[in-house]
Amino acid sequence: MHGYSRPLAILVLISLLCMGLSISMGSAALSFADTWAVLTGNGTPLQQTLILELRLPRTLSAFATGGLLAVAGALMQVLLRNPLADPYILGLSGGAAVGALLAMLAGLAGALVSGSAFAGALLATMLVFGLAHGTGSWTPSRLLLTGVVVAAGWGAIITLILAMSPARQLPGMLYWLMGDLSHAGNPAPALALLVLVCALVLPLGRSLNVLARGPLQAAALGVTVRPLEWLIYVLASVLTAAAVSMAGSIGFVGLVVPHMLRLVLGNDQRLILPACALAGGTLLVLADTLARVVIAPEQLPVGVITALLGVPTFLYLLYRSR
Amino acid sequence: MNPLQARDLVIDIPGRDDGEALNFIIQPGQIWGVLGPNGAGKTTLLHTLAGLREPRAGEVCLGEHRLMELKRKRISQQLGLVFQERQDGFPATVLETALIGRHPWLSPWQMETGNDEEIARRSLEQLDVAHLSDRMVNTLSGGERQRVAIATVLAQAPDTWLLDEPTNHLDLHHQVSVLQLLTEQAGAGNSVFMCLHDLNLAARWCDHLLLLYPNGEVCWGPAERMLAPVALERLYGQELLTVEVDGAPVFVPRKVW
Amino acid sequence: MKHFGLIFVVTLVVCFPLPGLADDLCATDGLDHKVCLTAPAERVVSLSPGATELLFSAGAGDKLVAVSAWSDYPPEAAKLPQAGNSNRLDLEAIVALEPDLVVAWVDGNSASQLAKIEALGVPVFWLKPRTFEDIASAVERLGVLSGNEKTGAGRAADFLAGIEQLRDRYQEALPVRVFYQVWHEPLMTINDEELIGRAIRLCGGSNVFGHLPRVVPRISKEAVLEANPDAILSGGEDSDDRRWLEQWRQYPELAAVAMDNLYLIEPSLIQRSTLRMLEGTSQLCRTLEEARARL
Repeated sequence: MHGYSRPLAILVLISLLCMGLSISMGSAALSFADTWAVLTGNGTPLQQTLILELRLPRTLSAFATGGLLAVAGALMQVLLRNPLADPYILGLSGGAAVGALLAMLAGLAGALVSGSAFAGALLATMLVFGLAHGTGSWTPSRLLLTGVVVAAGWGAIITLILAMSPARQLPGMLYWLMGDLSHAGNPAPALALLVLVCALVLPLGRSLNVLARGPLQAAALGVTVRPLEWLIYVLASVLTAAAVSMAGSIGFVGLVVPHMLRLVLGNDQRLILPACALAGGTLLVLADTLARVVIAPEQLPVGVITALLGVPTFLYLLYRSR
Repeated sequence: MNPLQARDLVIDIPGRDDGEALNFIIQPGQIWGVLGPNGAGKTTLLHTLAGLREPRAGEVCLGEHRLMELKRKRISQQLGLVFQERQDGFPATVLETALIGRHPWLSPWQMETGNDEEIARRSLEQLDVAHLSDRMVNTLSGGERQRVAIATVLAQAPDTWLLDEPTNHLDLHHQVSVLQLLTEQAGAGNSVFMCLHDLNLAARWCDHLLLLYPNGEVCWGPAERMLAPVALERLYGQELLTVEVDGAPVFVPRKVW
Repeated sequence: MKHFGLIFVVTLVVCFPLPGLADDLCATDGLDHKVCLTAPAERVVSLSPGATELLFSAGAGDKLVAVSAWSDYPPEAAKLPQAGNSNRLDLEAIVALEPDLVVAWVDGNSASQLAKIEALGVPVFWLKPRTFEDIASAVERLGVLSGNEKTGAGRAADFLAGIEQLRDRYQEALPVRVFYQVWHEPLMTINDEELIGRAIRLCGGSNVFGHLPRVVPRISKEAVLEANPDAILSGGEDSDDRRWLEQWRQYPELAAVAMDNLYLIEPSLIQRSTLRMLEGTSQLCRTLEEARARL
């Protein structure tokens, strides 16, 4: 019954392999031997810079971002009792995008853009929270509708900002909107958040399983439904906000990864959530590696790769589940 | 056990007058049946008794305590509820579903133990669905799902059973075995309170009946007193013929030619 | 084709003014379309800042009735009425001004919008300057169309002479391996086809990303570290914003950092394909000379 360790161990192994692959590939040609030399404290200064200062942080950022998105997606799916929900469905990425683009328009860069994106995402969260909560009667479909309409509003503001921006700002903005890891900063906070959340949802896991069977059933089995739902909402929002402020709005990871894992591993959230962290991270590490090397030394935004991988995968799953 | 009690309870059905207030105690060993036509508020009453809906007036008590003052976890260790409708956006296996019934008894940090699994398996066996343990619930027939839902509450092991149409989708044999199981529960000192749409099953298995009229009127009491053909005909708006079989009344609708 | 077109125009205008077309002024534009006017343009609308600058250079500044947003050079251009952003033109305003010539820029304006203007009978002259010679000939041709043939030809010749002078002086100099940073997030550079790339070569520099197929490629930091340029040049986000350059100092093993060859190039002089490129290129050449001294 509790066969959690085997699938998780396999996923950890795959993650490590993919990270290894990712740090040994890039514009600059380094062999696996070179990579190994650097990791064991040898190698030339250039190789050390390439691997330890450029590739490793970026790979870890990709892993953290993908993991955060997949866990947020899985939580959102339980919250909305809809296996097709994704982390952006309630307009969070729209708020983050508006924050980030406004910062770019003001000529800011780096951490300030990330911070502004994070603030935008939280603002979007609170806006949807306030609108859906204000009336007192709260249902997943009401939250969903509020979120979708608010997201459309953000979309309009994004278009407006793009239309008002000088041409030379546009490439940066478009890359941000497509999702791009080249300006991800220090991965440590995001990784810490990922680990923290996985530890936090572990005791919540069984309650989430019960909640997935509907709020009445959950209440009858002793779950305090409303506080749990808001906790999930806040958690998923913070995770998404952290991911989006690192790498822009990368699509499909939060939708496809939990969905695929549910098909393979079933619906026990105690297994699905940590598995999402690992598989989501791995998927984004692979996608980012592709983005970096496909037309190296030129670079693609990773969001393009995840969408190119995600759309056919998702259509296939839908087709198969008919 | 702490008996479930309605004190001056008025259930909240939008657009309907208050009607009469309910005052009753479901004592250990009793089997209550709720009868009433569609839309009379049977499900609402059941959910209100389980604390899942606010009453319009009055209160529901579990032993000495008002239900609203108790933690959901405490309540769920004493009250089990079989719903009429089930959601499965995220389908699970039959065994996982039965194990959910152990949720009230586990702390957040605990995993289900072998003992919990044993309880769940035994419950499935009692409902004759153990052979489906590894099947996904969304692939089962309506009757099988109904039995899995009852097995889940059996695994939950509550003192008071609240059931919404427990015989729905069941064939005659399984209807009888479910009612037999509930009778055993009552015999062991638990209490049962269920909505039924089959008058004759209620007449045969319930010792107390509550008649819920669509206008909010209610009456309740020992079964033999409540089974007056006139009251039942008014309840359903349907003429009935009464025959006696095996010492108990059987009601048959009069056919209109 | 381009040269053929140019020869054709020069031939047509200078040597053989045909009887029937005696009063016509014709010039071939950047898209190889022949644009003819019956009289010198008197009411000109410029649809990009670069076009505005080239028109002023050709002596047609006083003929401009409207310019696109961001037309900030020369200073008097900024005082002219605006006809919208270069990629979203205010067609109604343009048509209402009844221009007799509209000057468009291939990289900025929308062909479908311009097609509408053309359908209304307003001649559109497209500019597509990719080389120093293109810039010169654009000024020359705009001079022809606006009746300032002499001014245009003179300015164009001065420009080319200045460029040739730089070429003679620096082309054979010791090559400096250059990385030119166009933008930081995402990191972008230019290849040899781009005008800045041409300027770098003219000054005896060698663009480390000159061989890439895209004109403005997006690259990784890693690629820069591997290419290890001798000098890093950038226009910066603003005229005196050295932030992008300073960021490279976290990689002391870069030759450019080790030699302190991080240079800010005045962006307005080099990022527009206009006659100011001469000043920009000469600044670039002096900068590379400085970098060369530190090799």
